[in-house]
Amino acid sequence: MISLHGTVVAGEFSRRFDLEIGNEIVGVVGQNGTGKTSLLRTIAGLSALGSGQLSLNGVMVDQPAKRLFVLPELRSIGMVFQDHALMPFLSAVGNAALPLVVRGMKRGEAKTLALELLEQFGVADVAYQLSSTLSGGQSQRVAIVRALIGNPSVVLLDEPLSAIDEESRNGVRSVIASRLSMLGVPTLIVSHDQVDVVALCSRVEQLNRV
Amino acid sequence: MSTVGARTPRFVQVGAALGVAFLALPIVGLLRRVSWLTLWDQLTQSSSREALRISLYASLSATLLALIVGLPLAWCLARMQFRLRRVVRALVLLPMVIPPVVGGVALLGVYGKTNGLLGGVLDSVFGIQLTYSIWGVIIAEAFVAMPFLVLALEGGLRSINTRYEEAAAVMGASDLARFRSVVLPMLRPSLVAGLMLAWARALGEFGATITFAGNIEGRTQTTPLAVYTMLESNPEGAYALSFLLVAVCVAVLIGLRDKWIGGFAR
Repeated sequence: MISLHGTVVAGEFSRRFDLEIGNEIVGVVGQNGTGKTSLLRTIAGLSALGSGQLSLNGVMVDQPAKRLFVLPELRSIGMVFQDHALMPFLSAVGNAALPLVVRGMKRGEAKTLALELLEQFGVADVAYQLSSTLSGGQSQRVAIVRALIGNPSVVLLDEPLSAIDEESRNGVRSVIASRLSMLGVPTLIVSHDQVDVVALCSRVEQLNRV
Repeated sequence: MSTVGARTPRFVQVGAALGVAFLALPIVGLLRRVSWLTLWDQLTQSSSREALRISLYASLSATLLALIVGLPLAWCLARMQFRLRRVVRALVLLPMVIPPVVGGVALLGVYGKTNGLLGGVLDSVFGIQLTYSIWGVIIAEAFVAMPFLVLALEGGLRSINTRYEEAAAVMGASDLARFRSVVLPMLRPSLVAGLMLAWARALGEFGATITFAGNIEGRTQTTPLAVYTMLESNPEGAYALSFLLVAVCVAVLIGLRDKWIGGFAR
């Protein structure tokens, strides 16, 4: 459950949100500059609310009035960044396994799990390639694997399919869908693509310019 | 036909050649005076050996000390906004520009046993005397070498986009895990360059060391101090040690070629 009632701020930008998201997949659509990415960053804990409160699965994580703020590393989030933000010095599998490794799993074990997921997303063949050499679509799929591998309690996907070509899009979409239904956690998907939203999401939050 | 900007006038080329000669001639002069047949004997005679041992130990310790305090300092300079940042940056640069002997005098003012700001307390409470000891050598070398490391690390840290650390934080990586798994791999080239430059500077330190730690053979006499001392009594030994120091510094430059020389050339 994501419960957000408050003001998301990012520099000059600020916008009031009232969201209640259960264990469902919600699409966030709207033009550029309507605060979609800022919303995800706030839920992830990469920026703080200006006012109001945010709770994740019943735990209050951000409440400026009470000076309460839970760090991102303690929020159990799986997130795909718009620019993927893969570590350029790691291979695809190194990136995919990273969420498990930083939380203490043995590297070999983590990589085995990562390889399985990379396989499902059709990028096992580039597993040992340095991530900086991957194509946009490959890098995006690795980013999706990285977001989902650690069984997060909240999933935030920022344009998760934008770099994937038309032919493989359907396949990736269905793997995401099956993986998300297995996880069964509150999920927000920011997308410009109506088809993605209709195919993946149970409902839509439309953001208009403020 | 070449453009005006691409044409280098003859007198500029002559000036550049003079500049090269000015830098290269001392090296030629040094190499000319090295007695190659006795080089090994000169380097392995006891006073040289002792000086080299002290130099190696002190310069490596000084580099480590500079790293321990320099990395957090570089981090704050690169990533924090605070009011006195310009002042702190100037302070970091200071040991680079003040005469090393003045640095030594300043260190005496702090750690000197009789009149130092902290020296008296260190001696009477903890029984530690920094002056005229190997610790004095290490402190003096770290003092002059630290700016090189801090500047390299600060530049390196600035060039790392924080979005990688954000991604790692969201994955659940703690501060320390982020540093180990994200920052350190990306900082490695700057770290290596900074460590090598700082080490080379520490190895060559003279003024601050002789002022603060003295020139005691077998205790605080580092290789540069031994060179200075030997120049009177055993010039052959002095040239042999000088050659070794030049060789080490050339090796450091070769090690840094991609980071520095290549960077300048391209």
